[in-house]
Amino acid sequence: MATRPPRVGPLVLTAPAVAGLLVFFVAPLIAFGVYSFLTGSLYEVQTPLTLDNYREVVETDVNRTLARNSLVVGLLAATFSLLIALPMAYWLRYSAGRWRGIVLFLIIASFLASYLVRVYAWRSMLGSNGAINRGLESLGVIDKPLDFLLYNRFAVTIALVHIFLPYVILVLYAGLAPLQPSYLETAQDLGAGRIQRWRRVVLPLIAAPATAAFLFVFVLSAADYVTPQFLGGTSGALLGVQVQIAFVGTGDFAYGAAIAFAMLAAFLVFYALIALGLRLTRLDRVRFAA
Amino acid sequence: MSTARRSPITGVFTFAGLVFLWAPLLLVVLFSFHSTGGLTFPFEGFSTRWYDKVLSSEEIRTAAKNSLIVATSTALITLLVGTLAAYGLTRASSRLRGPLALLFFLPITLPGLFIGVSLLVAFSRVQFTLSLLTVTIAHLVYVFPFFFLIARATLERLDPALEETAADLGAGRATVFRRVTLPQVWPVLVGAACLTFALSFDEFVITFFVIGPDSTLPLVIWSTLRRTIDPSINAISSLLLLFTMLMFVVTFALTSWSERRRRGRGLAEDPLVLAGPTKATA
Repeated sequence: MATRPPRVGPLVLTAPAVAGLLVFFVAPLIAFGVYSFLTGSLYEVQTPLTLDNYREVVETDVNRTLARNSLVVGLLAATFSLLIALPMAYWLRYSAGRWRGIVLFLIIASFLASYLVRVYAWRSMLGSNGAINRGLESLGVIDKPLDFLLYNRFAVTIALVHIFLPYVILVLYAGLAPLQPSYLETAQDLGAGRIQRWRRVVLPLIAAPATAAFLFVFVLSAADYVTPQFLGGTSGALLGVQVQIAFVGTGDFAYGAAIAFAMLAAFLVFYALIALGLRLTRLDRVRFAA
Repeated sequence: MSTARRSPITGVFTFAGLVFLWAPLLLVVLFSFHSTGGLTFPFEGFSTRWYDKVLSSEEIRTAAKNSLIVATSTALITLLVGTLAAYGLTRASSRLRGPLALLFFLPITLPGLFIGVSLLVAFSRVQFTLSLLTVTIAHLVYVFPFFFLIARATLERLDPALEETAADLGAGRATVFRRVTLPQVWPVLVGAACLTFALSFDEFVITFFVIGPDSTLPLVIWSTLRRTIDPSINAISSLLLLFTMLMFVVTFALTSWSERRRRGRGLAEDPLVLAGPTKATA
C-alpha cells in the first residue's frame, strides 16, 4: 500500500477548540498575569507597571504563614495519597482477579463524587458530634469527644487525600500495566527478595507516573481554597484563600493576581526540583516497551 | 511456583482504602433519610422528609434547573467541538500536532482557582455580565481536556486500514468519518460526554468566581455549609451524588459495551479506557 502524503487538512477541524481555548483560557491567563504587575485599587487596576504587589505578597506575614501551611499540607496530602495508593494499585494489577472490574468501578465512581459533598462529609465525620467520636464513645474507647480532629491541618489533609486518592490509584495502576507478573517472578528466580524486587523492578517503572501524581495532588492541594475554609481552622488555612478574598472580598485584583502567580512560580520551581531529582537518580530514563 | 502472585496484605489494604473512600459518602446518604434533624448517630429511623423539603424549595429547584442547563450545554458542545478536535488531530500528520495536543491538555494542569479567577478578570475587563453563559464557558474550558484525552485515545486505537480501505473505494473524507469512524467510536464519545456532564454538574471551584447572581446546586451546598447546620444538606448532597453516579454508570456501560463489541467476546475485563486522562498524565 502506498504511503499517503502528510495531511494537514484535518487540522482545520481543531479550529473551534483552538479558538475557544485561546480566547477563554490562554488570553485570560495572560491578562491575569499582567494584572499582577499593575497598580490596584478597588475592583480597578491602573498602569504604571510595578513589582509592588509581589513585594507586598512576600513581605506580608500572613502570606508567609499561609504559604508554609500550603507547602506542608500539599506535601502531606501528596505523600499520604501515594502511600495509600501504591498497595491498592499493586493489588489491582496483580491480585485482583475477577474483582478488578468492580473495584475499579468503585474507585472511579468515588473520584466523580462531588468535591463539596466530600468536604461536608468529612466535617460531619470529624466533628465533636461526628461519626468517629460517636463511634469511639459507644465502643468505650473515649468518654468525651476528641476535639482535635476538626479545624486543623490534619482535617484538611485527610479530606484532600480522600479527594485525590482515586486519581493517584488510577495513575499508578496505569503505570504498572506494562510490568508483567512474569518479570517479578524472573526477578525472584534470580534471587531478588521482596525488597529488592520493589526497589529494582517496581520502583523504577512507576517513578515517573508516581511523580506526576504527586505533583498533581501537591499543586491542587496547595491551591485549594474551599477545603481549608470549612475544615482548616487557623493551622489549616491555605494560601488559595487569600486569592479568593482578594477577588471576591477586598476587590484588590492586582494583589490577588500577584499571590496567584507567586504560587504558580513556586509550583514551577518545585516541579523543576523534582525533575532534577529524577534525573540525578536516573529514574527518568526507565522506559518499558509495552 | 504459582503464576498469580497473591498478596493478602495489599488485598486487606485495598479493602480498607475502599471503606475510606466510600464510608463518608454513604454516611451522608444514610442521614439524608434520617427521620429527625440529627446529623449524627444514633440513627433514629427512616423518612423522606428532607427530600420533601428539598424538592419543594423554590431556591433549590431553580438551582437544580440551572445546573442541568449548564451541564447539558457543556456536554453537548464538548461532544461536538471535542470530537472534531480529536479527530482532526489524530488524522492529520503535521508538526502542529504536539503543540495542539499540549494546548488541549493544559487546562487540566492548572488548579481550578486559576481558571476561575483569570476568567473573572477577563470578563470584568471586557464588561461581560456574569451569568449562566459565563459559567458554561468556564466549564467548557475545564472539561475539555478530559473529553479530548479519552476521544484521542479511542480514535488512536482504531485500525487505520478500515478508513484507508473506505477511502480507496472512493468514499470522501466526510463519508469515511460518518460511515466508518463514527460507528466504531460513538459509544465511547457519548460516554465521555456524560463524564463531562458529571464534571460540570458538580463543579464549584471555578463556578464560584464566574456565576454572578445565579445559583447552581453546588453553590446551594456551599451557602448551606456556610450558614447553618441544616439537615437538608444531606438530601441535596445525595441528589447531587445520585446524578453524577447515574452519569458515570451510563459512561461505564457505554464504554464497556463498546469494548466488548471491539473485542467481539466476553466482558470487558479492564475498563481502563475511562482512565484515559490519567494515563496521558502519567
